[in-house]
Formats: sequence, structure tokens, C-alpha cells
Amino acid sequence: MLEIEGLGAQAGTFRLADIALSIAAGECHAVLGPSGSGKSTLLAAVLGTLPVTTGCIRLAGADITKLPTERRQLGYVPQQLGLFPHLSVIDNLRYGARARRVPEAEYRPLLDRLVEVTGIDTLLDRRTATLSGGERQRVALVRALVANPRLVLLDEPFTALNESLRRELWWLVKALQKERGLTVMIVTHDLAEAHFLADHITVLIDGRQEQSGDRATVYRRPASEAVARFLGLKNLFAARRLDAHGVDCPALGGRLPVGGDDPSGAELLVAIRPEHVALRQAGDPPRAGETRLSGRFEAAIDLGEAALLHFRTDGGTLLEARCGSRILRKFGYRAGMPGMVGLPAQDIFCLRKGA
Amino acid sequence: MRASIVAALAVLAIYAGLIVSLFWFFDGALFTRTLLSERSFFSIRLSLMAATVATAIALLLAIPAAYALSRYRFPGKEAAETVLEFPIIVSPAALGAIILIFFNNPLGEWLQEHLFHFVFGFAGIVLAQFITVLGLAVRMLKAAFDEVPRELETVARTLGASPRHAFFTVTLPLAKNGLVAAFILTWAKALGEFGATLMVAGSMAMRTETLPIAIFMRLSSADIEGTVALILILVALGLSALFVARWLLSRSVHA
Repeated sequence: MLEIEGLGAQAGTFRLADIALSIAAGECHAVLGPSGSGKSTLLAAVLGTLPVTTGCIRLAGADITKLPTERRQLGYVPQQLGLFPHLSVIDNLRYGARARRVPEAEYRPLLDRLVEVTGIDTLLDRRTATLSGGERQRVALVRALVANPRLVLLDEPFTALNESLRRELWWLVKALQKERGLTVMIVTHDLAEAHFLADHITVLIDGRQEQSGDRATVYRRPASEAVARFLGLKNLFAARRLDAHGVDCPALGGRLPVGGDDPSGAELLVAIRPEHVALRQAGDPPRAGETRLSGRFEAAIDLGEAALLHFRTDGGTLLEARCGSRILRKFGYRAGMPGMVGLPAQDIFCLRKGA
Repeated sequence: MRASIVAALAVLAIYAGLIVSLFWFFDGALFTRTLLSERSFFSIRLSLMAATVATAIALLLAIPAAYALSRYRFPGKEAAETVLEFPIIVSPAALGAIILIFFNNPLGEWLQEHLFHFVFGFAGIVLAQFITVLGLAVRMLKAAFDEVPRELETVARTLGASPRHAFFTVTLPLAKNGLVAAFILTWAKALGEFGATLMVAGSMAMRTETLPIAIFMRLSSADIEGTVALILILVALGLSALFVARWLLSRSVHA
């Protein structure tokens, strides 16, 4: 549905370069990145509010790179929602149809259906200033969908809400997406939001596209140190490629069985996600391909659903581990307690070093 | 804190004191007579007309200019913004003199012959007021447009509105109170304009005698009571404009 090729854009001194991504019809694609990574610039280019310096944007096969915003057939929900404060809810919802002079009979069935699905039927005559946070989000969503857009753009629309409302709206977006077969591009810095809503994720950092792929791959196998750090991965250790089957990682006790096709002697980073650091007991039998390290817990924090542990190996390396709260309570992990961790070979992966 | 409040009240006291002191020379009968005299009527009518025409013309140019300054980047933008302060830093008399000098160069003479006769006439008063208030009008209108988030226009356009439609259905209604306030303050400033008007249109009784010019002429002929009467009329007009503008601005902030 949406294809972006070799896209470059300039906003003031900020430069966005070489963006290439495609979103299939009916798919939700998250553009993820820290603030200042170029998410908004990319969004502005797709919206048509910022001229593109290189590359092209195609929507449903047609080149829209130079098309004015109003002819792109987009649905847009900005961060501040952009509700028109001088209009009632229903006039906000009708704004697009009136601007395009669409007869009421044509858009009314869809409008009524969306109003029903989102449960805003009692708000139609209200001024937008009198609505609660969640109501405002719903109105903004419905307004963006009434025109039956080819692509829906969501710009961090749920960041200002409390957790339970946020989740409620995520479910709503998912339901709407399924019912209407919407193609969605959501811009966010929130990993959980991207994971909940998106099938595919593109990570932008410093105006560059660092990685683009399905969400599981981006999560499990970040393509670069920059992506790994942005995703909150702390267990990153310098290593050197020995051969196709192993690397030398002094911080984790020497040779680790990690495959890869980078040339031998290549400087790499070895990474393991905290939930893959296995907590072992002294009597546990060894497991094939698992590197065992003994040491001491430095911290054990119960986060409610899960627990976060800091483990210092005998070699002095700090590892972050994550386990269920029940595991934490069952084994009574606490700061100062000696212990052992296992690093399963299949969960250790290599990254290219540097930003 | 207390000292700062005293300072704020002192500011009020200075201006209020000056206005109240006028009543030392206030003569009720003379005030009514002055107010109802043909010459005062002429001055009031001329002032109201000239200020309204000058403000209307200024706004016709200032609205699109202010919108461009608020929304777009373009070559010359910084210079255009800086020049808005020009009428403030140059004294009105100098501004008037500049206009007068302009009409003595070939282009100015051609304009006078073929378009309007500006110097020493109604068009001159309007022009002097227009030049004096244009910068102020643009600055105030720009502030009004700045208050309307650009994002609303973007949303309107994604919904299918052309830039013009978005401007008239979103930006303009939301900037409305700021625009009306800008109109009123610009008008009040034009109404009180003296220096540039005197230079370009001169001080001719029953011809170019706006209220401020009339005050100047009465004072020159040592007619203190007449001067006070005219000042009170001007102050009443100006203050009511200020209050209406303040009220509108406070409404636009809380809307």
C-alpha cells in the first residue's frame, strides 16, 4: 500500500536520509525511535507538509511525492489530536466530508458505524474542550477514519494517557484495524505500543533507518548497537570473531558458541536479552551449548509482573536478568546472594559495533 | 513582592493622575459647547473616518503578510520582521518627513499627479496613519496566527481541505478574537496619530484637523479648556477601544 524509496528530507538543520520501507495493505507499521531521530520528519514527508529532497513515496501504486496533502487521502491523528476547538464533535467528524463536498448520504453510514464502534454517540453535540482524554482520542480517531483513508497516520496519539486508558485504546485501534482492514503507520518512541499494534517495525536513529523488519526480529535481533541500546538492551559486551562458530568475549569468560559470517578477527558486540539470562541453581545439570557463569546478585527488584536482577560474575561483569516475580519469590533472590546464570547459545547474538 | 506591587500601582497612579489632573481645567458648559461645535464635530468625524480607512487598508495588507510570517520560511523573512519595528524606533515626525520627502521625488510626484493628491489632504492623513500603524498591525496579527497551532491546518488538509479552505474554516475562526483586538488597537493607534499626520497633511482648520491636530492647534492658541475637552474625547475613545480589545484578547486565551 505504502512504499517509500530512498527518501531524504531536510527540516532546518536536521537531515533524514535513505529511508526505505513498505507497508502492505491492512498492515500496521510502527516507526520507532528516540526523540530527534527523524520520526516527525518522516511523518511530515508522508503527510506532504515537508518537501522531499530525494526519493519517492508511493501510495496504492501512485506516486504521491509531490501531491498536495489534501489529495493524498490520508487519515491523520497527531500527538495533540488536532481537534478543532471551535466546532462540536459532530462538526469535527463532518469537517472532511464538508470540505470535499461529499453528500451526507454517502458518508453517514460509515460515520454512524464508527461512532457506534467507538462509543462516542452521546458526545456528538459537545464541544471538544469538554471531553475527557479518552473521549478526545476516540473522536480524533473517528474523524481520521470517516473519509475512508488509504493510509492512517498516528503520531504518538496515546502518550499523554494513563496506562489503562492507553491499553483500552490500543485494543480499539486493533479492533478498528481488523474491522476496516486499515493500513496504519504509527510513529512512537514506546516499544510496548509498537509491539502491541505493529506487525512490522522500522527503527530510526539520528535521521538514519537502522533497521526495518517484523517486530519479533527487531526485538530479538537488533541490527546494530544503536538499536539494541534504544531497545534498552544492557547486556552488550565487546567480542572478536574467532571462526564461523565462535567468538572470544573476555567479559563472559572467553569463547562463546555464536555463529556468524563476519570475517575472523572482526570486532563485534555480543548481546543477550535479560529474559534469556537463565537463573540456575548449584545442582542443575549442565545443558548443551549453555555457558555457565557463577557470581553474586547485586540487586533484585520486584516489578510486579516481572523481576529485574543485577548479577555480577566472578570475572566482574554485570549482567541484567529478568524473570517472573514468582521465580524471584520462590528462590528468594536478593542482593548479596551467591548464584549462577546460564547463557544459552541460541539466545546469544552478535551485533556490529558502533552507532 | 510588596515593592513590585507598589511599582505596578504607581504605574496606574501616574497615568490615572495625569488624566484626573485634566479636570482642574474642566468646565462643564465649555465641554458641552466644544463637543457640540461644528469644528469639533468635523475633527471627530475626520479622525474616525481616517483611522477606520487607514486601519482597513493596513489590515488588508497585514493579514496575509502576518500569516506568511507566522507560517512560512522564505528569503527576506527576518528582514521583514525587523522592519515591523521601524515605525516604533523612528519618531512619527521623522516618519512623516520621510513620506513628505518621498512625494518630492519623481515617483512620488508621479503618484500625486496620477493617483491621489496625498500631501495636505485626507489621503495624506490616511497615508500617514497607515504607515505608522502597519508594522504594529502585522505584529499583532502574527501573534494571533501564532496562537493557532499549525497542526490544526495540517489535520484539516489531510481531511481534504485546500489551504484556502483550511484558512477560512479553521485558522481565521480560531484567530478571530485576536484579529478583532488587533483591528481595535491598530485603529486606536491611528486615531491618536499626530506627528506623521502633521508632517504630511499639515494643520489646517476644518481641513486636515484630526483630533490630535485640533488639540495641538487649541493649545497653540492658549485655549486650555478647549484643549482639555478635546483630550477627554480622545481619551474616552481610546480607552474604550483598549478595554474592548483587552476583553477580546482574554476571551481568545480562554476559549
